[in-house]
Amino acid sequence: MENETSKIIPIQPAPYSRSRQAGEAQTMLDHIVDDFQDNPQSMHYFYDLFRQVYCHGEEVKHEGKLVGTTCIHAPEELIYAFGATPMRLCNGSYHYDQKGADFMPAKSCSLVKATLGMLNADKVIPKIGKPDLIVNPTTCDQKKKASVMMEGMGYQVYDLELPNVKESEAARVYWRRSVRQFAVRLRELTGKKLTRKNLQAAMAKTSRAQVAFRTLHNFRLKSPSLILGKDAFLVTNAYFFDDIERWTAAVEKLNEELAQREQSGFKAVQSKAPRVLFTGSPPIFPNLKLPLLIEEAGGVVVTDETCSSNRMLYDMTAVDEWMVNDMVDSLADKYLKPCTCPIFTRNDDRIRRLLDLVKSYGVDGVVYQAFAGCQVYEMEYRSVADAFNKAGIAMLYVETDYSTDDKGQLSTRIEAFLEALKNRKKHKASIV
Amino acid sequence: MTRLEAVRAAVNNVQFNRFRFWLQLFFFALLVYGGYLGVELGKSLPTFACGYNAEGRGGMCYLMPLQHQMAWSWQKLFSVAGLTVLTGFLTFYLWFIALNKGWCGFVCPVGTIQDWMTSIRRKTGIRYSRYTWGQFKGLALIKYVLLALLFIIPLGIGGGWFNKDLKSPFCMICPGRTIIPMFAGDFSYLTIDFSSKINMIMTVLGLTVTGLFFVGAFIKKRFFCFYCPMGAFHYLLSKPALLRLRKDGSKCTRCGDCYRVCDQEIKDIADDVNRKEIMTDDCTLCLKCVASCPENGALKATFAGIPIFESTEQGFIKRMHKGTPDGK
Repeated sequence: MENETSKIIPIQPAPYSRSRQAGEAQTMLDHIVDDFQDNPQSMHYFYDLFRQVYCHGEEVKHEGKLVGTTCIHAPEELIYAFGATPMRLCNGSYHYDQKGADFMPAKSCSLVKATLGMLNADKVIPKIGKPDLIVNPTTCDQKKKASVMMEGMGYQVYDLELPNVKESEAARVYWRRSVRQFAVRLRELTGKKLTRKNLQAAMAKTSRAQVAFRTLHNFRLKSPSLILGKDAFLVTNAYFFDDIERWTAAVEKLNEELAQREQSGFKAVQSKAPRVLFTGSPPIFPNLKLPLLIEEAGGVVVTDETCSSNRMLYDMTAVDEWMVNDMVDSLADKYLKPCTCPIFTRNDDRIRRLLDLVKSYGVDGVVYQAFAGCQVYEMEYRSVADAFNKAGIAMLYVETDYSTDDKGQLSTRIEAFLEALKNRKKHKASIV
Repeated sequence: MTRLEAVRAAVNNVQFNRFRFWLQLFFFALLVYGGYLGVELGKSLPTFACGYNAEGRGGMCYLMPLQHQMAWSWQKLFSVAGLTVLTGFLTFYLWFIALNKGWCGFVCPVGTIQDWMTSIRRKTGIRYSRYTWGQFKGLALIKYVLLALLFIIPLGIGGGWFNKDLKSPFCMICPGRTIIPMFAGDFSYLTIDFSSKINMIMTVLGLTVTGLFFVGAFIKKRFFCFYCPMGAFHYLLSKPALLRLRKDGSKCTRCGDCYRVCDQEIKDIADDVNRKEIMTDDCTLCLKCVASCPENGALKATFAGIPIFESTEQGFIKRMHKGTPDGK
């Protein structure tokens, strides 16, 4: 700023809301809100939230120490129990994706680049303030190597050691120890102690949120749909940074509205709209490009298997004895055992989960998003495609990134895919 | 919702641990004090209704007459008198088929006592302990060794190889013999019998096991069940049983919630997604796993093929997540 020109002609720095970055969020939000009729009334909480945070750059408040997380594997209940606030740092902005390109090889994952770009920016959006600690679970290679880079930017980083096999007993034992060590690190950070009482309260907070999510998830079983996938993604995206209790209350309100919709026989889409299962790399606002394209083309995303939504909130703990050791172990198990992340050696669980979702949600076709450079999802494509082939389920594999350049090409592919799904449906109906 | 569906939903939402506590208490009273009320369920019960509790017992554990009969001289055992053995076994088998290992999880007084000890420990805030995977696999074999000895030693007595004092060898080391009479006010089995060398050894062994039982069951849920030869015997006979534990692997997310609550640390319940009949030899069919499973219909208890208790999301939340709106 302090160059010659600005000395002579004082240039007012443009407000954030007029920046290109805010524009990216604004455009996406406009599409989400204005391109569709009959948005649920209670979705306005979320629309406004994203407008404030992403378009106006308003501050996101938090209590206690701020603990950034870069993956769903960081047990948030532990963070809450220590009186700190977890904030998921995974970012979906193309602006930051470009900024973060300096840190990573040319062909690497947009999500990791965007997260690094965000952390390296002067003004971080969402404006969460500087995290007191960043927990980086050792998941995929790109995230692993990001640790040192984040440290280089001046952050405190904690590598939460995650095994890359999850079936073995050794992995379970190792991961439980990791989680316990993480609790020790949090104690150092906050100076507080982990007690039965505060952990139980923290777990109740999370499980209330999860129950709200599961209820929403169950409403999506209904055909024709009561709510569109773009809204559902926005809801779970808000979980990344929103106050958990406020978020839960907002989702509970949304659920009430959906219950009313169900009673009044409301249809959010045409009865023939192909029902789509979304899997693969996570859609994170403002990059809701692909789910939005599907729904603009007349499909509806009825469920998903991604770490920005279903995988993040679905699995709940069971505790037999409400004592700290049992609670911590049950948390550890929850964050490892049911996880369908492609970073693990084998992934029968993901395929089983996908097939179960297809069956229970009456899915007509699957859209598999892989971010260019997200090797694990790219590599897992083959086995998933084989399983779907065997089961006679149609799948569209889309390799993409955060840029909007491929939007036109993608929309053609998606329209063709949905058209094929419709024909299949008709064909099936005529046979019956 | 039809009436049947309403009943099913109510059952699946039950506060399972509370229900089980009262049912166990009922069976405990029946088998330990039933005798005073004239209850007599016979001598072939497939559970530890200890015969040494002479007056109070409402029936008798089959292992006692079984060992006794096995110790008959071979001449007698393989004569017409052997038919008594067969009818005894048949009665035992009929009892067993009805409840399968549910006898362990719901009826067995020794099991119930262990659950009470677990409750006491829980109140004191002391954590439980678990075996490592290596220990688990090794120690799991002990129950089969005990079961084999339970046949071999009495048969050996009948064949004249072993001393007669060794009769009912398992009863002598079973914690039921010392503990259950105590509940009826009889402390006489807490003594060492000096009448012969073998009696002395066996009673000392029995007291040692009793001591181990108290320490073990305090820090380890259902400590003794893991070594119980009756459990092994049950498992070997369980093919045609009516009460069954079934799993639908396609609905399982392998979250491990069932394994977490399992008193017997059975991993297969969570990890095995192929087997439909999921009851293993260590299982006590306590059905806590069904109560803690969040997936609709992934685990279920069936009786003669009819589902009687099924895992549901709603029931799971009610039971496992108090404090959430649905969990009250």
